[in-house]
Amino acid sequence: MSKEAIIQAAYDSIIECDEEKAMKALDDAKEQGISFVELLSEGFSAGIRELGERFAFGEVFLPELMACTEVMQKAVAIIEEEMEKSGQQTKKKGVMVIGTVEGDIHDIGKGIVASMVKTNGIEVHDLGREVPARVFVEKAEEYGADFIGSSALLTTTMTVQKEIEEILKKEGLKGKYKTMVGGAPVTQRWADKIGADAFCEDATEAVKTIQKWLKEMGREEGM
Amino acid sequence: MKKYFTRMGDGSAVYMTEEEIRKDIEAGIANAVRGAKVDPLTDDEIEHLYNIITAPDSVVSVENHRRVVQTSDSSSNKLGRHSGIAIDQPTQTVIYERCLGCDSMDMGLNDYNFKAVKSCAENEAVIVKNALTYSAMPLLYGGMPNLGFYTKPDGPVDNWAELLPAGKLDEARAAQEEAVEYAVHDMVFVADTMYKVGVDGINLDTCGASGDADWLAALKACEIIRNKYPDMGVEMGMAGEFVLGMHGKLEYDGVRLAGLYPHQQVKLAEKAGATIFGAVVNTNSNMSFAWNLARTCTFIKACMEVAEIPVHVNVGMGVGAIPMSEYMPADVVSRTDKALIEICNIDGL
Repeated sequence: MSKEAIIQAAYDSIIECDEEKAMKALDDAKEQGISFVELLSEGFSAGIRELGERFAFGEVFLPELMACTEVMQKAVAIIEEEMEKSGQQTKKKGVMVIGTVEGDIHDIGKGIVASMVKTNGIEVHDLGREVPARVFVEKAEEYGADFIGSSALLTTTMTVQKEIEEILKKEGLKGKYKTMVGGAPVTQRWADKIGADAFCEDATEAVKTIQKWLKEMGREEGM
Repeated sequence: MKKYFTRMGDGSAVYMTEEEIRKDIEAGIANAVRGAKVDPLTDDEIEHLYNIITAPDSVVSVENHRRVVQTSDSSSNKLGRHSGIAIDQPTQTVIYERCLGCDSMDMGLNDYNFKAVKSCAENEAVIVKNALTYSAMPLLYGGMPNLGFYTKPDGPVDNWAELLPAGKLDEARAAQEEAVEYAVHDMVFVADTMYKVGVDGINLDTCGASGDADWLAALKACEIIRNKYPDMGVEMGMAGEFVLGMHGKLEYDGVRLAGLYPHQQVKLAEKAGATIFGAVVNTNSNMSFAWNLARTCTFIKACMEVAEIPVHVNVGMGVGAIPMSEYMPADVVSRTDKALIEICNIDGL
């Protein structure tokens, strides 16, 4: 089996939610000495990105997305184990805290972002919904996070994202964490205005943004 | 190079060149075509859309014979709640009718969902009865199916938003199916109560906001209400341009609900007996008005081509190309209305 065929099988396994195919792709890659990093980024991760795109157009539904995410997580766990054994994976990739801001109960989008980011090898702590600004900061400190993600669906609750930035500045923590904001009324202009490090339109963009940051931090392996 | 004043989807002002506007129109259409798999707008329609967007007038309009009806949802509370004016609901209703030009509207509880109305339906019915004695226009009673309200700790059903990420797909689906039955019961109960005081119709608003199960509840309730009370109308307004598949396998009349777009949604609303369909397209606050309006028109035109019941397109904050801002800029609101009427041939706003 060619390298291209194995990477394609990894991609297909995610799209088709086929755990058996995913495991076979991993075995084949191991047997033929194909880089797991490549298998993950070109195969499995490419598959999950395509799924995210299809989800955005209503072609794939949440339960399927979740089931595919599970296959992805199993594949990632095996890859991490193998890379650990071979000494390829020594650096921690990243930790994120994420939540829907206080006063806001809309957490579907936030949940999808959390799943997608997790699938890409980041340790994600989902703080749930109605999370006060201070809790985002406290939990980021507690978990040693690199990234703080906040979601707001209402124009009346997006101000909590500003509060997060203010607390970080006030406590001298701005710069310690990369902050990302999202939600229907949230825009790049809003992110710039409050001083957030990034605005992410959807889960795919959140993953891309984190990947970019990890590269800048020298932790791009495995993504 | 000449630049035209227009707006972004968050309402902020922006100046764009002809080339930029045309590029965004094309991209908005392409996005709708990619999603709903419908035909793009024609070259003539694109040209007309471009002229509407770049018209020098601050507010644009339609010829007299093209005017459509205007309905307003939950208006009987808005003057009081949003503007802080101490005024009762029946009086607000007639202000909308006689001062603000509404052709129909719905009344509703501040909380605006049927589960919350259930416990005070009789009180609400008295208010509706008073309003009916004052007003001449068709008066509906509205609310949201709001399936999420049936989940723990607010309701009796397990929370599928927690079950899904935990990988408990079957449990999540079962919880949604259970919630459907509760929601149908509440919507029908409220309709029963309002029918007794002579309301003209029931407005099932933001159907599908909690996903495909939410819409299934609305379709089932609509069917029951129409069968029980054939002389009472049911307006079915949606929550977005496609139905989010939180369950993914639910069907109505043999058609899977998840992922349906307005031109498909309206056919199921018709089958359920709805008398008015409220099509919705969400505004992307990061894209330009041109992008949002072109996308909206593409979806809505396809919907109008197949609809056999009147379609009243939602044009409020964050829907139907209207910016996601607290105050609606009249320039883009009037342009949206004109485009929807002249390009899509809608029945109402």
